[in-house]
Parts: sequence; structure tokens; C-alpha cells
Amino acid sequence: MSARTWLTKAGFGAFALGGAWVLFAGLPRWYPAERTAAPTGVAVDESTAGTLTVATLFHVSDDGMRLVGSPVRLARRANPTAQARAIIEAQLAEPPAPLRSPIPAGTTLRAVYLTEDGDAFVDFSAEIMLGHAGGSREELFTVYAVVNALILNLAAVDAVQILVDGVEVDTLAGHVDLQRPLPQNLDLLEAPGDAWTPSEDAPADPELSS
Amino acid sequence: MSAPSRAVAPSGRRAGARTRRLRSLGRALCVLLAAAFAAAGQPAAERLTIISPEGRRLLPTVTIGGRTMVALTELMEPFGLRPGTDRRPGRLTLLRGTAVMVLTADDGIVSAAGRLESLSAPPLERGGEWYVPIDFIGRALPLVADRPVELRARSGLVILGDVRVPQVVARYRRTGRQEGRLRLMVTPGLEPRIEQAADRLLVSFDADALDLAPGDSPSDDLFRRVVADAGRARLAVELGEAFGSFDAASTPALAGSLDVVIELRPAAAARAVPAAPEPIPAAGTEADAPLPILTDLATPATVRAVAIDPGHGGDDAGTRGPEGTLEKDVTLGVALRLQAAIQRRLGLRVVLTRSGDTAVTLDERAAIANNNRADLFVSLHANASARETAAGAEVFHLNPAGYGDAGAPPGGGAAIPTVGGGTRVLDIVRWERAQIRFAERSAIWARTVAEELAARLPMSPRGVQQAPLRVLVGANMPAVLVEMGFISNPDQEARLASPGFQDAVVDGLLSSIIRYRDMAEQGFPDVDPLDSEPPPDGAETAGRRFP
Repeated sequence: MSARTWLTKAGFGAFALGGAWVLFAGLPRWYPAERTAAPTGVAVDESTAGTLTVATLFHVSDDGMRLVGSPVRLARRANPTAQARAIIEAQLAEPPAPLRSPIPAGTTLRAVYLTEDGDAFVDFSAEIMLGHAGGSREELFTVYAVVNALILNLAAVDAVQILVDGVEVDTLAGHVDLQRPLPQNLDLLEAPGDAWTPSEDAPADPELSS
Repeated sequence: MSAPSRAVAPSGRRAGARTRRLRSLGRALCVLLAAAFAAAGQPAAERLTIISPEGRRLLPTVTIGGRTMVALTELMEPFGLRPGTDRRPGRLTLLRGTAVMVLTADDGIVSAAGRLESLSAPPLERGGEWYVPIDFIGRALPLVADRPVELRARSGLVILGDVRVPQVVARYRRTGRQEGRLRLMVTPGLEPRIEQAADRLLVSFDADALDLAPGDSPSDDLFRRVVADAGRARLAVELGEAFGSFDAASTPALAGSLDVVIELRPAAAARAVPAAPEPIPAAGTEADAPLPILTDLATPATVRAVAIDPGHGGDDAGTRGPEGTLEKDVTLGVALRLQAAIQRRLGLRVVLTRSGDTAVTLDERAAIANNNRADLFVSLHANASARETAAGAEVFHLNPAGYGDAGAPPGGGAAIPTVGGGTRVLDIVRWERAQIRFAERSAIWARTVAEELAARLPMSPRGVQQAPLRVLVGANMPAVLVEMGFISNPDQEARLASPGFQDAVVDGLLSSIIRYRDMAEQGFPDVDPLDSEPPPDGAETAGRRFP
């Protein structure tokens, strides 16, 4: 191999190394990436001088029959939208045993919007649908944990509509109508059996031929 | 004084829906009347009148053991029945064309054209003569007749074939110190002709007969009462001594009805201010409240078709049990069993929203029921809970909060031009408002289902609930969703898939359909639709906030 060929190859090599440095080290250093809001929904405004507020979150009772309200301390936010985000973020966290979260694991909050009419729009990731076990009972718990948590804690919210991946959906799992903002539902908080009692002669658990 | 004559705006719509809806209105109005008659030990109608294109004929009835019965010989000729050859004692076979009807003495089940129909009382044989309860006419004869047969027990009419018998509900209220207002809800919305003759107003209709529910309106110095003109499609408004003049106007109402308002004025007022229009009382007074035909009375007075909705299907398997049982398979299995049972034992038409493993959207399911004119809707599901101990059936009906005011017109009518001139007013009901018109009936339907299931299955402590369930929103009939059990519970999973459990569900639903049909035909207990007011939007939860 001649000296000319060596020189040519060395030149190409040096050029390639320089280009690689510019691409992977120089450019990022000269033009640092702008920090975008993390999709985890951390409130963007500052909490007001470290004061705390108490919010009620809703989880499924130990027997799986009702929603249970649990008070938690949250940083007080001046902005209602930020406060709504903080409440939903807290609602997504796993509650202490024996309570259970009504929202499927892995669900993340994408955005919260409040309107002047008192409607709140809460946009969740697709896990809230994909991870849902189904059944009217569980779906009611999922929906109304979110709806009640915002309406009962924020005076500015009268009704809540759940969005999934930024779009309206009919239902999460085939039952509860999500095509419009929903008002609160306190019936799910009450001990079951108060409103309706089966007939006295109803069998507790009949042995059915099968 | 010349007799003023006014024709009011016609309104044409589907006769079937109109008939069903006003029949329901009339029935509701007469619940109290019927109760009063029953208390006095009298039948609702002393005799029946058969109205057919051939004319009228009387159908005498007899009271046996406190029940109004009719001799079968009276029915043979009008309905084209002839005796069969089966002469066994205690049995009677009747033939109508190729259809066979079998009656058994002291057995309340009659077999007609291969279907079994229950009667309110068993047929009786007395001295070689057979007697049947009058509901035999409305229940058994339609199964063998070659043209429609309808029994309107309250007004004592048997409608045979294509005849026009509008139903009229009358209600009078005082609207001022001297004025009164008579409202007539006419279904179907036929054009009345109103004439004054001496001390009465004659309201005539271009029809074959009239089915009048006069109501329990109070009488005063303007208005005495409304009476039917026997033998004609005409009613008479008997006026008080103070009556001077009247003014009539009408507006098409939903459900195919015509709302005729007749303002009654005293003679002195008519002379004193001949040109000044009477002040209209403020909206919201009792007299101006819309007649509830738009809300609670739009249900038919019987059940002819049932829509069964097997939940989920296709790609949407629904929930899944720990052993892999799929909700969509359980719901379809129960639906097919229920379909067969209804057809075999009740002879009703069944509408399935899916009959195989196919995906159907929630709104499509309600649309299938609506388009097939189902009278009841039941959506079948299996429940799930992360707690595997959760068990029992639950019944849901729609929570109307947030879907708008049920008392307001659901969407209004649209005037559509017809061939040859004129217009035809069509009902337009917004999808989101379809079910709330049936809120009360759905609550009754849900409770009936829950009670019947409770006698056969383990129920959840939350037996009957209200929730905004999408599949119920657009259903244009009383509708419920049944969660038959928790498929997440290993014990219940096995049962849900078992024929024994599925048959128990079917049996409970079948009994609840029969009970609901009986209530629809005989009047719902403790419900007077004319006095019912829908709850204001969101009232249920208003004022309940955490501190």
C-alpha cells in the first residue's frame, strides 16, 4: 500500500471522527435541549409558600363494595388547574392497605383542563382502558373516584369528563357513559344495602343444580 | 247565538305509537277510577262493545265470583271461531282457520296457535256453557285472529281490525277567578270539531269511536263534566250556568298526540271585554304544566316485543374469570336461552342485539331495539371485582342526572311536507333524551327484575342501582342492565357458565316480564303519571358536598 493511500485513509478517518464529535458532543453542547414538562403531570406552578391543604381521595374498600374517602395533605396551589393536577396525581398513587386503587396500574395523567363553566376534563393515558378488568362495578369505581375527587375537593368544578389519550371515549370498559361531563355520585360511598333490600324470602346462596 | 265551529290543526303520525301511548295515558288516569269501581264491587265495564269495520255490536258480560266474564258463544261468530272435535270433559277445542285453541276448565293457561297464554282467571264451564275472563279477548284471541284484536277494558271497547278509535284524556282546571281551561290530549292527534249546543260543547272526531278518560276534574260554575257520546266518536262538555264563550287552540304534542286547549269564559267577562285577550297565567302553574304524555305515558299498554342485549362480543370479550370464562360467552348463552323461553312460553317477539360472537357498539344496541320497536330492553352482563369474594346479581337503570330535564319537550316536532299538500309532524327525540322519558317505568322494570332474581339467585347488597350506563341512554323503552353475578369470584364463575344458573336467570327474567306486562296492562301500582313530576336535573346530588 502506498503512502498516498495511507494519507487518504487517515484523512477520511480524521474527518469521520471530527464529524462524530460535532454530531454527538458539539451540537448538544452548543444547543442544549429545552426542558419539556414531564408527562407525569407535576404541577407547573409553585406551591403557595409551603402551605398545605387537605383533599379527599377515593379508593375501593376492603370488601370491594364501595368507595372510601381518605383525607391526604397536599401542597396548596394558587392555580385551580394545578390543584386539580395535584389531586389526580395523588389519586393515581397506590393507597395504604387494605384499600385498593380503583384506577388501573400504570395509568398516567396527561393533562387537566378546567373551563369557566365548571367542567373539568381529565386526560389519562391508554392504560386506564387497556388495564381495566371490566364489569360495571369496577368501572363505576374508576370513573367516580376521579369525578368525586375533583368535584368534592374543588369548588370550581361541578362536572368531570374523562378523556383517554386526548380524545373523548364512549366508555372505559363498555358501561359508564363518558360522552359528557359527569356530576358527582355519592351513592357509591354509602354502605351497600341501605337503598335496597332483597325480598325477605330471598335465598342467601341457593344451591342451584348445575 | 250562532254555534261557533272551529277546526284545529291536524297532526298525522304513526298510528301504532299513538295508540299505545294514549292508551297508557288513559290507563294511568283511570287508576283511581278503577280503584273506586273495584272498591264498590263493580266491574269496570258492564258490557263490551265490539267495534270493527263492519260496525258495532254489543258483547254482554256476566259477573261470576266477582269477575267479569264473557260467554264463549258470544265470541264465536264475531271472531270466526268454530268448535273442534275434541269432546273430552273439562276441555274445549276451538278452531280459527288452521289455528287451534285449547281451553281447560279451571286452568288459567290457554293454548292458542301453539303458544301458552296466562289469563287473569281460569275459564269456567257452567251448564254446558263456557265462560272466559274478558282479558281472554286481549290475550288469547290475537294469537289466532286474522286481524288485530285489542281490548280496552276501561272503556269497554273491543277493537277488531282497522278502525280508528282515538283516546282522549280530559283535564279541567280553574285558571283565574272567572276563567277555566279544559285540556284534551287526543291520540292519535285527530282534528276535532268543536260546536256549542245549548249548555254543552260537542267535540267530534272523524273516527269510528272514542276512548275517553274523563279524569277526576272538579266541576264549578263554568264546567260540569266531560261525557262520551255513546255510539259516536264524539264527547260532550257539559257547561255550568256562568259559561259565556270559549276559545280553542291546539298544538301537536309529541307521541303523536294533539293537545287541544279550550278556554272557558263567563258570560259577563265576554261582554265586558270582547276584544281583550285573557291574560295567560304564568308558566309553571298546574294548569299549564305539560300533560305528561311526553314522559311517562309513552310506553305501550302491554309488552309485545322484548329486546335482549348480550353484553360485549367480538373483540370485546368483556371481563374474564380466573378460570378463563369470558363474559361475552356467558351473556350470549343466557340471551339465547332467554330468547327461546320468551318465544316458547310467552309468545312475544324477541329482538337480539347480537346472536353470535360479533362486536356491536353500545349505541347500535339501543338502535336495534328502537328500530325493532321493542317494548322492554334488558342488557345482560357479568360483573368483576378485584376482591374475589364479591358476589351477587345487580340491576341497573339509567341515572337521568345530567341528561336534561325530562319534562321539557325532548326535541320538538318537525313539520314535513306531504304529497298532495299539508304537512306531517314527526317526533324528533334527541338520542341523549330517549331513555329519560322512561325513567319511572325503567325504575319499576328494574325493581321487578331485581325482586324476581332475588327469589332465585344470590343478590349483591347493591341490588338496584342507578348509573349513567351508555347502552341504556338511547333506548326508547323501559331499559335495565343486569349484572348476573361476579365472574371474578371463582365460585360464581363456575355457576355463571352452568346451565342451572343460566336457567335460573332466565326464569327470573321471564317472571319479571310477565309481572311487568301485567302492570302495563292493568295499571302500575302507586303511580299516577298525571301528578308525577320528573326530578330536576342533578337534584339527586344537589347540595351534597364535602365540607
